[in-house]
Amino acid sequence: MNILAQEMLSAVMQPVETARGLPNEFYTDPEVHVAEKRVLFASTWACAGFVSDIPKRGDANPVSFLGQPLLMVRGNDDDIKVFQNVCRHRGMILVEEKTTLRSTIRCPYHSWCYNFDGSLRTTPHVGGPGNNLHDCIKREELGLIEVRSHVFMGMIFVNLDGKAPAFNEHAATLLEQWKEFVDRPLFHAGQDSSFKLNVRCNWKLAVENYCESYHLPWVHPGLNSYSRLEDHYNIVEPGAYSGQGSVVYNSQLDATRKFANFDGLSDKWNTGAEYVSLYPNVLLGVHRDHTFAIMLDPQSHDQTIERVEIFYATEEMCGPEMADLRQKNAKMWKDIFIEDIFVVEGMQKGRSASLYDGGKFSPVMDVPTYCFHEWVARRFTGK
Amino acid sequence: MNAVTDLQQRMLRAHHAGDNAALPTLYLEAARLREAQGEVDAACFFYTQAYVYALDAGDDATAGEARNRLKTHGRDR
Ligand code: FES
Ligand SMILES: [Fe+2]
Repeated sequence: MNILAQEMLSAVMQPVETARGLPNEFYTDPEVHVAEKRVLFASTWACAGFVSDIPKRGDANPVSFLGQPLLMVRGNDDDIKVFQNVCRHRGMILVEEKTTLRSTIRCPYHSWCYNFDGSLRTTPHVGGPGNNLHDCIKREELGLIEVRSHVFMGMIFVNLDGKAPAFNEHAATLLEQWKEFVDRPLFHAGQDSSFKLNVRCNWKLAVENYCESYHLPWVHPGLNSYSRLEDHYNIVEPGAYSGQGSVVYNSQLDATRKFANFDGLSDKWNTGAEYVSLYPNVLLGVHRDHTFAIMLDPQSHDQTIERVEIFYATEEMCGPEMADLRQKNAKMWKDIFIEDIFVVEGMQKGRSASLYDGGKFSPVMDVPTYCFHEWVARRFTGK
Repeated sequence: MNAVTDLQQRMLRAHHAGDNAALPTLYLEAARLREAQGEVDAACFFYTQAYVYALDAGDDATAGEARNRLKTHGRDR
């Protein structure tokens, strides 16, 4: 990172009253995006997919995450593992499409076969036709390359460089803040509780917009009726996550029916809801009767796929009787997130203004956004 | 047509049709034939094919038998 960039980043790390936002290059420069993959994603815990992508034993889901081919597999013991999707022999991609495997991961090239735990099971003809053994082919050294992974609130997190602190340590404050939600099963209803948005912006703009409530009365005037600006508070955990809470959550999707609440929640959640960006790429929302998780899947410096998955408190909420209500809920959220698209795409366009200096933060309203910018700047400068 | 060419035809048809469930037993049959003729290398070639296709198809019985024969001949473990 050059001197100028270092200086611009130190401007981001000033107190919120005087800090500037991240410089334009962080939104417009493909090279910065390449560096971000290492500095902001690989070295910490990032969400690469969802448990609901591999619901059954033997399910295997290949994904390209930040340009890396990964394979998520649910083994026979229901254990979820993530591997680099590459054969240890000549580097062939192992699984091209989502599938249910029977009892092996077979490379389509020379048919080396791996167990679901990644160990190498057989190496056909490796010692000549009809001989599957050779002294130089040590199976115990040639298992699939496993990527460190952790399941949290229905998401599959990966630590690509393998060096981050354990997930529970990494997310300790959020685990504590949301202890009433994190240690219980969440139920996903499948298709009707799942949608994707393709947005033409840098992934960070989605984080920034999500974690502040300042824009609510202007961008989401419909929400304002039950979620007024003054009913919101900031959530700020430097270096980890930031967002907003509401004290007036009161979903009324239907006159008579309601989703079941999570068992045993404290009173705070009767009308409380919280929305946080867990850095780098996860946007979460919790309510007494449902949670959602958004995975930001950066496609390039100016393209992001937002994957949204909604979860409920009980199995029954995922049954056919509740389908219409779930669809309403999904539509409500989708409409809200669509309202945000012109803003994040507009900020992306704005970042081509060469004299824009990263902008100014309201010390009252923009603290969660500032917290995120500061995290980025600190990771890049190692401070 | 003798037994070997008939079996070869059936294998080819299964490959062409993408009938992966049929492959393990066809290769197993070929392996047994060769083994009965004392052709160990050829038998183990076919046992290997049977083993791999059986793993792929989740055909545990065939996978187990093929692997056992391979182990007996010191060709797998
Ligand atoms: S590349 Fe996978 S078996 Fe050869
Ligand atoms: Fe918004």
